[in-house]
Amino acid sequence: MLVDAGYVALPIALAVGAYVAVASFLGAWMRAPVLVLSARYGMMTVPVLLAISTLALVYAFVTHDFSVRYVAENSSLALPQVYTWVALYAGNSGSLLFIATVYAFLSVVAVAGLARKLPYTAPYATSVMALVMAFFLAVIVFLANPLERLAIAPPDGQGINPLLIHFGMFIHPPMQMMGLISVAIPFSIAIGALLAGRGGRDEWVDLGRVWGMVSWTILTVGLLLGSWWAYTILGWGGYWAWDPVENSALMPWLAMTAFVHSIMVQKRRGMFRMWNIILVSVAFVLAEMGMFINRGGPVPSVHSFAQSTMGWVFLGFMAFTLIASLAAFMWRINTLKSRERLDSMLSRESAFLTQNVLFLAVAFITLWGTIYPVFSEAASDEVITVGQPFFDRVNGPILLVLVFLMGVGPLLPWRRANLQNVLTILRIPLAGAAIVTVALIAIGIRELVPLLAVAVCVITFVAIGHEWLRGSRVRHRRGESYPLALARLLGANRPRYGGYIVHLGIAMLAIGAIGSSFYAVQRDYNMALGESDSLGDYLFTYVNFDSTPHSDRIEMTAQFDVSKQGRDIGSLDARRTFYISHEVAATRAAIRSTPIEDFYIVPSEFTESGGAVFRVYVNPLVWWMWMAGPLFVLGSVLALSPRRRSVPATLPLPRGVRMAGV
Amino acid sequence: MNSPTANSVLPPLAFALLLAAIMAASLACGADEELPVLEARAQEINKTVMCPVCPGESIDQSQHPRATAMRAVVDEKLAEGSTNDEIRQYFVERYGPSVLLEPPREGLNWLVWIVPPVGVLAAAVALYLVLRMAVRSSPGADASPTGVSALTDNERDDYFRRIEAALASDSDGERPSPTGRESQDTGEAVAG
Repeated sequence: MLVDAGYVALPIALAVGAYVAVASFLGAWMRAPVLVLSARYGMMTVPVLLAISTLALVYAFVTHDFSVRYVAENSSLALPQVYTWVALYAGNSGSLLFIATVYAFLSVVAVAGLARKLPYTAPYATSVMALVMAFFLAVIVFLANPLERLAIAPPDGQGINPLLIHFGMFIHPPMQMMGLISVAIPFSIAIGALLAGRGGRDEWVDLGRVWGMVSWTILTVGLLLGSWWAYTILGWGGYWAWDPVENSALMPWLAMTAFVHSIMVQKRRGMFRMWNIILVSVAFVLAEMGMFINRGGPVPSVHSFAQSTMGWVFLGFMAFTLIASLAAFMWRINTLKSRERLDSMLSRESAFLTQNVLFLAVAFITLWGTIYPVFSEAASDEVITVGQPFFDRVNGPILLVLVFLMGVGPLLPWRRANLQNVLTILRIPLAGAAIVTVALIAIGIRELVPLLAVAVCVITFVAIGHEWLRGSRVRHRRGESYPLALARLLGANRPRYGGYIVHLGIAMLAIGAIGSSFYAVQRDYNMALGESDSLGDYLFTYVNFDSTPHSDRIEMTAQFDVSKQGRDIGSLDARRTFYISHEVAATRAAIRSTPIEDFYIVPSEFTESGGAVFRVYVNPLVWWMWMAGPLFVLGSVLALSPRRRSVPATLPLPRGVRMAGV
Repeated sequence: MNSPTANSVLPPLAFALLLAAIMAASLACGADEELPVLEARAQEINKTVMCPVCPGESIDQSQHPRATAMRAVVDEKLAEGSTNDEIRQYFVERYGPSVLLEPPREGLNWLVWIVPPVGVLAAAVALYLVLRMAVRSSPGADASPTGVSALTDNERDDYFRRIEAALASDSDGERPSPTGRESQDTGEAVAG
């Protein structure tokens, strides 16, 4: 019954979405408030309709209703009950429904804000949002309906892809998909302002920035969780392999990162008006590209569990987005002129622009490497692979420069700086970097690249730490305790200090990446039960083997007692689970994580008696990468949190100088 | 500000030292573990060869039996004294050039290597030209060819004092725009 209701709700939602797209645009164009209002209310019904469909699908999974084709294909009676609640995004059509539902809720929130704050822009933005919505719903209704029934219900389903049975699965796929689709909202706001002819007024910037940050945060968390999932499940001791699907999630993140920075320049200075619209359009096209590659694109990948020919429909929509936003841009280009000018080559503005260009460069190099195999095959019939070594080599240096800019950029004043005052500001961070570098050389680190990379990260750490300290000290002198002074300082200018917290997270991420890519040690050990061996300071003994058959899988667990430098650090379980019906094995690495290094054991195939080849890793500093996650969320929330009504500033500044706030 | 007291310099430097200690501790642990030369070379090769049946994964990462077999071939060939390139070539002959994770630098494939640096270079030049143009056409910009600010020392000191003051007051970054650009389009709204 509920399933049928959900099935019927889908085409209705599609019809409403299509109506909203047309009515909202025409209503604004012909100045017919009734149409605009009806479209806005129509938009509010879409999430309700889609929530019914989503609930219906979840219900079908939880009750094992195998008469629904999608449920039969993606779950089985043996699937642990808790996973039936999240199995809806195990395959293609279910994840599309999930995307559409989340998107519907996000857009209603966005539309409400738009209607209140930007009445001229709102109808056009709503129209663009609804158009994107209608596209997704059309794909669901006509090509991939997850609530479609089978003529005869099978007694049991085929089961879920075992690689997906992991805690990260609760969060990573939905986050990733939400991230990709949420880019549509700042995009719609920008295009809406453009269509309304108000792109040259900077009124869309506040909402555009807020939704840009929301989207950025979701994308970031999705990427980080995906890496964490790869690290604990895929069993190769790494977390990022420049796989096409990883790349396709990274590219829109890179463009959004550029956007959330350059939008600040428009907010503060009324510059980069055209550039911001281009950036957010590029981000959205790249997000569509991500969905295209994820949903059965032409590039082989480890994420192939959701393939279909539907990718080509996405490609078509991507081309449409590109052409349509370009047309809108050209049509309204005369409204985008900026009165403000750059005052100096060396300023906050120019640092932002440089940062933007570099982020786009990384995005396009990644795009280039990802699609090159297709290009090469078409051009010369030669199939080649562009993998990790290529991306590391080409993107690595640019990312390093970006981390450097991240440390220095926020210290530059708006409008203009000169070399001497920049050096003054940089004196302490540079001294910190020098001390760390000397210390590392003293203990025998000689490789140039990691030394340089660590130094660049330290600049960021010290620059931020120093500024916080200075600010807290001023407050402390007025009688606040240090913790209170710091908290008040961070609360006083939230966009700025939220940004700093995110920057700290990025520097931690970089530290983790440096440690694990340059100093990880790995070795394979062929061990029988009872044997001991060592890697570095670690001594590990294979003490117990356990093989437990379940109805759909066999779980084999090897237990190790581990000591470091003779000190016992407890026992670790490395697991390999073989899924009989899929004939696939999934591993769960045994990981002991400390801020200094991870000790990591992953088994390959076991023999009857429990002998196996174990791969053991010592991965320095990886812990810091995962700790960056909470900082990203914290920083973004702080940056987005509503500001207190501020006391108007009373500081007159000399001509040509503006406060160094963000 | 221009002459920071020892009081304000020491804590960040101590912080830097702490960081150095953590990193030194961890990197030192990794650094003293020297693998046998052949094993290190084997890993180096394994990371550049793709497992033909599990797209996108190197034979180093993959746990597929085919990858295990290919790793064994690498070990064997290394023991026989083959060079890294000979071993990679051996796999290319069997599986075609797509077995290498890094495209070979020959023929058309030069493109994949050349486009990124050329693109970045072009972008850098374009960025420089755009910035220079923007600065030149700016009415308020000074005419000095380097584009360096003409602030006097007095103004600069004043500027830093104000940063300090702004850090302490709650007002930084929340001042209304002097040009009034942030005005909202309230009023004659279509349907507001």
